[in-house]
Amino acid sequence: MRVSLLVIGLLVLRASAAGTPAADLRGTARAGDRPQANAVVWLDAPNSPSSLEAKRPVLDQRNLSFSPHVLAVRVGAAVDFPNNDRVFHNVFSFRDGKKFDLGLYPVGVQKPVVFDKPGLSRIFCNIHPNMAAYVLAVDSPYFGVTDDRGAFAIPLVPAGRFTYHAWRPGGPDLTGTLTADGSPLDIRWP
Amino acid sequence: MNKLAIGALLVLCPSLASAQAISTEVDVSAGYSTENVSAGSTQIRALGEGPGAVRFFVEAAWGARYFPDSRPKSPTDVFGAAYPYENRAQVVEAYGERMFRPGGALVGVRAGRFRTPFGISTRSDHAYGGFMRAPMIRYDDYFALSNNFLEHGADVIVGAPQAYFEASVGRPSDVGTVQRRPGFDTVLRGQAYYRSAIVGVSHYRAMPYQPEYFAKGRAVFTGVDVRWMYNGIQLRGEFLSGRPFDDTTTTGGYIDLLVHRVWMGPVTAVARLERLDYDTIPEFVLFARRAMAGARIRIPGGLTAQIAAGHQWRQQIQRDRTAFDFAVSYSLRRDIDAHRQ
Repeated sequence: MRVSLLVIGLLVLRASAAGTPAADLRGTARAGDRPQANAVVWLDAPNSPSSLEAKRPVLDQRNLSFSPHVLAVRVGAAVDFPNNDRVFHNVFSFRDGKKFDLGLYPVGVQKPVVFDKPGLSRIFCNIHPNMAAYVLAVDSPYFGVTDDRGAFAIPLVPAGRFTYHAWRPGGPDLTGTLTADGSPLDIRWP
Repeated sequence: MNKLAIGALLVLCPSLASAQAISTEVDVSAGYSTENVSAGSTQIRALGEGPGAVRFFVEAAWGARYFPDSRPKSPTDVFGAAYPYENRAQVVEAYGERMFRPGGALVGVRAGRFRTPFGISTRSDHAYGGFMRAPMIRYDDYFALSNNFLEHGADVIVGAPQAYFEASVGRPSDVGTVQRRPGFDTVLRGQAYYRSAIVGVSHYRAMPYQPEYFAKGRAVFTGVDVRWMYNGIQLRGEFLSGRPFDDTTTTGGYIDLLVHRVWMGPVTAVARLERLDYDTIPEFVLFARRAMAGARIRIPGGLTAQIAAGHQWRQQIQRDRTAFDFAVSYSLRRDIDAHRQ
């Protein structure tokens, strides 16, 4: 409880320090007419102060699958990769973004990876070819991932004008501008 | 026996219908070997997590091999990597398990029907991983252990992620072409992990699969397994020694090399060296050696192609001294429900 209150307090302080009121930016993402799950939306804000995430991001290995399928983090974040399956996993990323190979490790072991550059990393398991996930590192504290209904929320965005970006698995990146004034942002891939 | 497995699963997992996350996987494969054998198989799996953090895993498989009339049915072990090929649908594994992490320790309980936890024994190690034949020490009828041996019982893991001990007790519930006689099976296993290397030692006691008039006593094996993987290169091997029944000994093992470097794109190269020595009265001794090399190629759209060549020397187990195997698999995974936290 104390930690939560501290985080909330710091967030309020940060918003106040920026001199502008902050509000959650909400919206939806669609591909054609269908809601787009697992899309990442982020705002350009490269010089923003460090994010105040209370929890370290986790890409779990459970039931022979990565969870979540898409993870968005801020550049510099350390992501934990715990193995919660009885079988061994070997997490690796060779293609783009952060390149690493965590080697073989068993149930109960957790290994961290720092995503120190912006970009998309495709994550696989060398033992189980059906396992695949994405980690998108963005140079901004303002980002969100869409849920099954295509909805996203980016918390505590200060009022103002931003350039936004949107990415989805297998689709082109989208870029646009918005004015953060409490209005929803609708993103649509053709 | 299948009903018993499902029953045990349901006891552990009282409400699958309200499970928090269920994933389903389907693999469909077709293959051909120059030994003039073709094969088809389908595996369907449901796995996930139910209330109380109980995991469940259920797998059913159908497989069949086709031999033209011009050649007799045996011997060959092609397409016998991890599933039975008896032309009927069968429940293979069906179990529930629960893991606990008290103070950083690792405690796990599993009940139902599961592959005999001796050495390198999981489906993902042997099924369609680039080889279309099981290692000789893990094929149905080669006087050692089979990948199609299943235990109907419970096992417990106690230790830490870096090193743990596993004990399994159960009754045989095998699905392959050989079935162990009824009895009480025990497997004891210790496993240690350091950096990217895993070493395990297993000990197994069960009734033989050969008929009682022929095979007296119990099957007893002790084995060592090693796995190491880094930077896209995996080395693994298993070595065992013991007796399939009284007055006989089986010694053997294999070492696999699997390479998947970034420049190889969708291709994983595989190679295996293996041996099997079954020592008994002179007319039945078996000393076989085999080398295999092949590749597993991921094709877009959930398809995977596999090609392998194998050459055998000394005594002959496979039909032809040198054989080429081909298979194509289609894999599909769906997460039906995912209220994951």
